[in-house]
Amino acid sequence: MESWRKVGLAVRKKIAFFIILGWLLLLIGDRVDELRVYQGAQIAMYTIALASIVLLTGYSGQVSLGNGAMMAVGGYAAALTLNNLGSPVWVAFLIAIVASSLFGVLLGIAAARLSGPYLAGTTLALAVGLPSIANQFAFLGGEPGLLFDVGFPPARLGEEFSQYKWFFWIASFIALLALFITSNILQSRYGRTWRAIRSSPLAAELSGINSSRMKVLAFTVSSGLAGLAGAVLAMTISLVAPGAYGLALSFALVTGAVLAGISSLPGVVLGAFILVIIPEISVAIADSLGNADKLNNYLPGLIASVLLILSVIFTPNGPGEKLRGHHHKKK
Amino acid sequence: MIRKTRAKGTWLAATVLAVGSLFATSLPAYAETGVTSTEIKLGITLPLTGAASPGYNKIGNAMNAYFKYVNENGGVYGRKVTLIQKNDEYSPQLSIAKTNELILRDKVFALVGPLGTANFTAVHKSVGIANRGVPSLFLNTGFSGFANKKAYPTSFMVLPSYAMEAKIIAQFLKENHAGKKLALVYQNDEFGIDGLGAFKAAGTKFDVSIPYTSGEQATPGIGTRWATTLRDGGAQVVVFFGVTSATGALLGGAAGLGFRPQWILGSVGSDPLTLRGLGVPLALLNGAQTLAGNPSPNDTSDEYVKQFQEINTKYNIAGTNFDDYVLQGMNIGLMTVQALRAAGSRPTRAGLIRAIETKGSTFASVAYSPLGYSRTSNVGHTGYYMAVMDSTGDRKPFGGKVTLYTTNSGSGSVDVSTFKRPAMPAKGLPSNS
Repeated sequence: MESWRKVGLAVRKKIAFFIILGWLLLLIGDRVDELRVYQGAQIAMYTIALASIVLLTGYSGQVSLGNGAMMAVGGYAAALTLNNLGSPVWVAFLIAIVASSLFGVLLGIAAARLSGPYLAGTTLALAVGLPSIANQFAFLGGEPGLLFDVGFPPARLGEEFSQYKWFFWIASFIALLALFITSNILQSRYGRTWRAIRSSPLAAELSGINSSRMKVLAFTVSSGLAGLAGAVLAMTISLVAPGAYGLALSFALVTGAVLAGISSLPGVVLGAFILVIIPEISVAIADSLGNADKLNNYLPGLIASVLLILSVIFTPNGPGEKLRGHHHKKK
Repeated sequence: MIRKTRAKGTWLAATVLAVGSLFATSLPAYAETGVTSTEIKLGITLPLTGAASPGYNKIGNAMNAYFKYVNENGGVYGRKVTLIQKNDEYSPQLSIAKTNELILRDKVFALVGPLGTANFTAVHKSVGIANRGVPSLFLNTGFSGFANKKAYPTSFMVLPSYAMEAKIIAQFLKENHAGKKLALVYQNDEFGIDGLGAFKAAGTKFDVSIPYTSGEQATPGIGTRWATTLRDGGAQVVVFFGVTSATGALLGGAAGLGFRPQWILGSVGSDPLTLRGLGVPLALLNGAQTLAGNPSPNDTSDEYVKQFQEINTKYNIAGTNFDDYVLQGMNIGLMTVQALRAAGSRPTRAGLIRAIETKGSTFASVAYSPLGYSRTSNVGHTGYYMAVMDSTGDRKPFGGKVTLYTTNSGSGSVDVSTFKRPAMPAKGLPSNS
């Protein structure tokens, strides 16, 4: 009884935390300019996408380089729903989750027997090949893609309420909800089971855990999250096209996850922030060196690579783990 | 008497000063995004790297070179023109991100020469160009959908549309290649499909048709596959509606098979210097027929070409060869400066749009065909002439003289035009208002 009360208190505290965080985001959204609001929507999108990697790779130990492809499945499912059925936006987002989860089941079944570089290679092939499939089918819009129009903000919010602020509100709400649910899943027995499988698949099997089934479940939930992120991405750019979900996106997600700490859910916000801030930093450096046009082509990739190398050397488990380590030492 | 007259004069002067001050302070202070007392900021998105970049990556630098020349000669009403280039790698979602940077971070006054049909379609919707009232001048794309004034109220084309191009080619095929087996290779997006629709409307039947996806031209061996399909289909005349890198793949593949049909190259993918840079021997272009809107970039007897070549030599990046892309970039620069001048010394975004609508049809431009700007039309140039290329890649008018054809993007007829383009402004520096 006492432990149930403690669980109830923990959940209530978490809910309160997320409500306060949401309120803070609303206030920030009111005070920054349109560019920052747009970037805020992108940070929310990356947060959801990185959470999918933390769950799949950080918790269940399955390396995937194909989360960009999962995002594509979700984005296209949402766009087709919105454009062809005229459904409300929230229905489109739900369909995105369902479609990408189903795809994740199939991928998980195929990948359950694989591990390490073989799994990475398989998911890499998916990241390369899946978005290009859209080019082959006219109903998927080909190379230019499909428009994804969630409409204008409600009139009652006023004329000054911009489209990008509306995206920020929607994306932030979805990100908070996704993080809340993911956090609960990871703290449940499912999360503990995945960690057990990651630590020692043999020991997990010997303790009665069906590793294959749990791995498939991890792929399913992770894909659902990635699909949701894909739909949010489509909303922020009003477009779903193969180029939006290319290999570069999959690599960016892995980069963000490593920088944030591959098994740290709170770290996904930091990772998302870094992914969005890198182009800003490269513009500032390029401007100061006076050759912005040329440098901007290559600097973002260079900065990301340097950060990755530094992260692997100095904070292999992410900055969060490092800070926690310092805190324990001080105690 | 003198004292009274002096006192009267003083009162009069004071009254005039007071009224004048009241009037001056009641005038709205001038401020516009992207315009300061010393600078006008413009932005462009284009592929500086990637599969579609060969050739196009020169346009922004050519515009910059022209703007530098103008800035050294007083700028536009004393303001220097600054162009910010953003690389979108021909990817629509990168175009959206980069355009957001231009509008929200760099706060440019207008977009000039944004490149790519799919790119601008995505940008226009996603960034909300029309809602924001951002002028998008002289789009580097001929998609006829952009001619829709209602859907694109702040945008202006410069190139004839792909539909116009296809109609003129269709006319040329009827007049010069009747009875032959025709083939079409086209990029499978709005660019190529625009032309395809116009060919169909003109009643042109292709015996072989090869659509390709943008980027596919980089696949090893694709040119040989295309050429094999064309050869096996018995194609005698091949019309190509794609980008230069795809032209290179096709010509290279055909040469490898010894397949030499009559090539008809669209205006987009026929620049010889770019093809040479891609490793295509220029001899393969010998006899190829191509649509052209401008004089040859090698024709120094043309006053526009001569002036632009001088500006290129002095102000562009050292070693930049003067080709169709550089010519196009400099011409867009010339038209942009005329537009900025027509907008007045206190330009606003709305004023710039109005200036092009009312005066744009009279702007000087290197192209031979008339400009179609008006309050109801954002169509740029409206015609082409047919040219033949030689083994150096240079082009001469088909039949020995420029026969200009003009038409529209709809069902209008294709007519021979006697239009004479305006003279190049003295020293290439516009003085219009």
